[in-house]
Amino acid sequence: MARAASQAFSWRQFRVMLRVIRKGEQRLDETGMGLGGETGEKRSGFWGSLGAGARKVAMGFLFALLATVFFMMGVMFGEAGVTPYLAFSLCVISLVGFTVLTGLYQAVNILYFVRDLGYYLTLPVSATTIMWAKLAHFLGMSLLGDLILLPIGLGCLFAVGAAPGVWVAMTLAFALAALAVNLALVIVCVPLMRFSRLAHDKDLFSRVFGGLVVVLALAVGVGSQFVLQGDGMASLATGAGEVLSGGVPAIVMGVLCPPSLFARAVVGGDLLGTLGGLLAMAASVVVYSLILSLVARRWYFEGVQALQGAGGRRGRRVEGSELSRATRARGVFAANLSRDWKMLVRVPVFFNQFVLSSLLMPLYFIAIFAVSGVMGVSQASEAGVDPATLLEMVRSLTAQLGFESPMLVWCAVGVLVFGLFLGFSSYSFTMGVSRDGEDFFFMRGLPMNWSAYLAAKFVSPFALSTAPMLVLIVVALVVLGVPFAPGVYLVAVYLGATATLGLLSLGLGARFPRLTWDNEAQLVKGGGATLMVFAGLVVGAAVMALPALALLGCTVWGVLEAPAALASALTIFVAEGAVLVWWVLGPCARSLSRRER
Amino acid sequence: MIRIDHVSKSYDGGASKAVSDLTLEIRSGEIFGLLGPNGAGKSTLLNMLAGVLAPTSGTIELDGVSVVDDPLAAKRNLCFVGDSPDHLLRLKGHEFLRFIADVYEVPDDVRGPRIAELAREYGMEGELDNQIQSYSHGMRQKMMIMGALLPDPAIWILDEPMTGLDPKASWLLKQSMRRHADAGKTVLFSTHVLDVAEKVVDRVGVIAHGELLFVGTVDEMREHFRSNGSLEEMFLELTSEDSPFASGSGAEQADERDGAAAPGAR
Repeated sequence: MARAASQAFSWRQFRVMLRVIRKGEQRLDETGMGLGGETGEKRSGFWGSLGAGARKVAMGFLFALLATVFFMMGVMFGEAGVTPYLAFSLCVISLVGFTVLTGLYQAVNILYFVRDLGYYLTLPVSATTIMWAKLAHFLGMSLLGDLILLPIGLGCLFAVGAAPGVWVAMTLAFALAALAVNLALVIVCVPLMRFSRLAHDKDLFSRVFGGLVVVLALAVGVGSQFVLQGDGMASLATGAGEVLSGGVPAIVMGVLCPPSLFARAVVGGDLLGTLGGLLAMAASVVVYSLILSLVARRWYFEGVQALQGAGGRRGRRVEGSELSRATRARGVFAANLSRDWKMLVRVPVFFNQFVLSSLLMPLYFIAIFAVSGVMGVSQASEAGVDPATLLEMVRSLTAQLGFESPMLVWCAVGVLVFGLFLGFSSYSFTMGVSRDGEDFFFMRGLPMNWSAYLAAKFVSPFALSTAPMLVLIVVALVVLGVPFAPGVYLVAVYLGATATLGLLSLGLGARFPRLTWDNEAQLVKGGGATLMVFAGLVVGAAVMALPALALLGCTVWGVLEAPAALASALTIFVAEGAVLVWWVLGPCARSLSRRER
Repeated sequence: MIRIDHVSKSYDGGASKAVSDLTLEIRSGEIFGLLGPNGAGKSTLLNMLAGVLAPTSGTIELDGVSVVDDPLAAKRNLCFVGDSPDHLLRLKGHEFLRFIADVYEVPDDVRGPRIAELAREYGMEGELDNQIQSYSHGMRQKMMIMGALLPDPAIWILDEPMTGLDPKASWLLKQSMRRHADAGKTVLFSTHVLDVAEKVVDRVGVIAHGELLFVGTVDEMREHFRSNGSLEEMFLELTSEDSPFASGSGAEQADERDGAAAPGAR
């Protein structure tokens, strides 16, 4: 390999390789959250080209939407008195933070988890050329993604009415900062992949970083609750400026992103300072490029080779009575449930998308409730009411809930609205059959009981999405002092809403499964998956429309008494549930038993 | 016994025919080898027998049970190894075998010893606690074959079963097939390896362009071609573009030319 790495760099071959990597390479995005892996399903003709076009348009629209949001945020910074330097500092710190947390996964995904890498090594192309083509591809893709943060700084410039030259300087400075932080990342990544065992267990590595991404998303969601209150935005920008102003944080930032050391001169200085700062930034990028060149030439392909054939943890020898115990008989339902659960937990994409997200959802709500509660208590304290008195006031209200009370009907409406919101996560039911992909056709050759198969497909996501939220609801009902019978009624409405939503989603997924994907990421990424998430809302509305009408008949139109409305809503859910169970276990199961490629 | 009666399979509303009006009977107690070039329709035919694909027309019966009318009963009576061993890769070996045993409702007192025996025979004892995705291609193929043999149904349908197997596993499988047929049961397998077909099969069927061109023993095939050449040479002649059999209506046309093919089809 050392001999291969010493081969000369060829600019012509570099361009050929970069083009191939950019257009034809298939990456294994094992979390379903990273760059790459979104190669479309095997579709051809008009629908295939429309699908690819629609995906590009959707991605472009999403990028523009986010950029606009960040730009408006920057404008708000400027209007709140934040200087362009502080706004830029915030951009750079966010960039470094996101890169440190998620960039390693992206880098490993693009540079190492690539099926075609082994093939490249067999081509008469120098290893140096392949390495730089890979690196250039990664840096290009990362830069494109990082640019999403720049509008925060530009929005601030817009708000303060900065000259065009400052816009150009900030854009160049940000691009150099983004390049430097990604170079730093790869400088760390290459030896890590050569000498560490963590990334060699792809499943473990993907789960760890997938979890990190989900937790990060949760933190951003919860953090935004604080930031958007009071002067949180101005404080955030000031804090970012302080990080870059000196001390250990500035040194750390200087190592991770050397251009950050010259940010004040570029964004806040005079013309000479700006030019000098940009030159210094560019020089730091050149130095990091040289270091990366040395590191990558030495260890990149050694790391690639070490990864080839590396799998998960090896098991031990199972025999005798242990083997008999491990293979003892179960019913077909239990066998399918166990198989489906193992797939959910062991496939990193499914684990992150369906298990981790479902389990973290209640935490998200707890955090939101906690933030709202803290703020409510704070506001109540300012008004002279202590928390205990506040809780007592709420409990005295909920104690009046009864089947004669319109308040309970309103609460039931609230539960339905909450259930409708959960429609966003109903795609874990919709994807139930699709998750099996080609394995589905293997099972078609078995004497499979498809009703038991679908019943098992219902249980896993239902337990994951409904049970934790159910615990949360029960705790909330107890804390708020809701009487037992109305509390049970609200729980029943919640179960009715989630069960019917899940059944309808599962049935639709069984009638229209997507089974022709090459890797799991294709299933959960792209336009089709996004569409399915939003379709969950429509499905939710479909199953909740009739019970909602019964409840609104009491609260809004006054044509029904509260007991009649409450009874009707629950009865409708039971009836819907019965029909949906018959539909899923009957016609949907039969359609699966006849499905062909 | 497998009875295939005027079975066709077409796609795109009849625009492309993968299998065309195929009639064949495979008797209990025999090993039947299905030969054909790539794209001949072998896998399509085997997938129809296994109930994975539905015939466009015609009927298929496995030991008197219609695959179309009662697929569950028919499938309980057969095991099928498809052309790819890459299935349920995240399950461990013993989890995969347990799943198969559960679906086939293999009782506890049978499955335990049988799994241990198959694992020992195929040299997979030390691998059962590893996920199938960590196996090599050959080991995955062994696992698929172990899964197929575990319920031990009367009819075995195997699509290119020797692909990727090491010589010992290949020999073991051939022995198992022989024992199964000698016990009065049925084995149907497809292969590209003509040497394997020549040594193992009782009868052979040659398929090309979705049509059955020849059915009979290897000796009948030699007699038919009046040749002492290898099976490979006869196969190439039979399936070549200018073969007198290739452009006609399959076994029926062969019937008109020579008695060896058509009587074998029935």
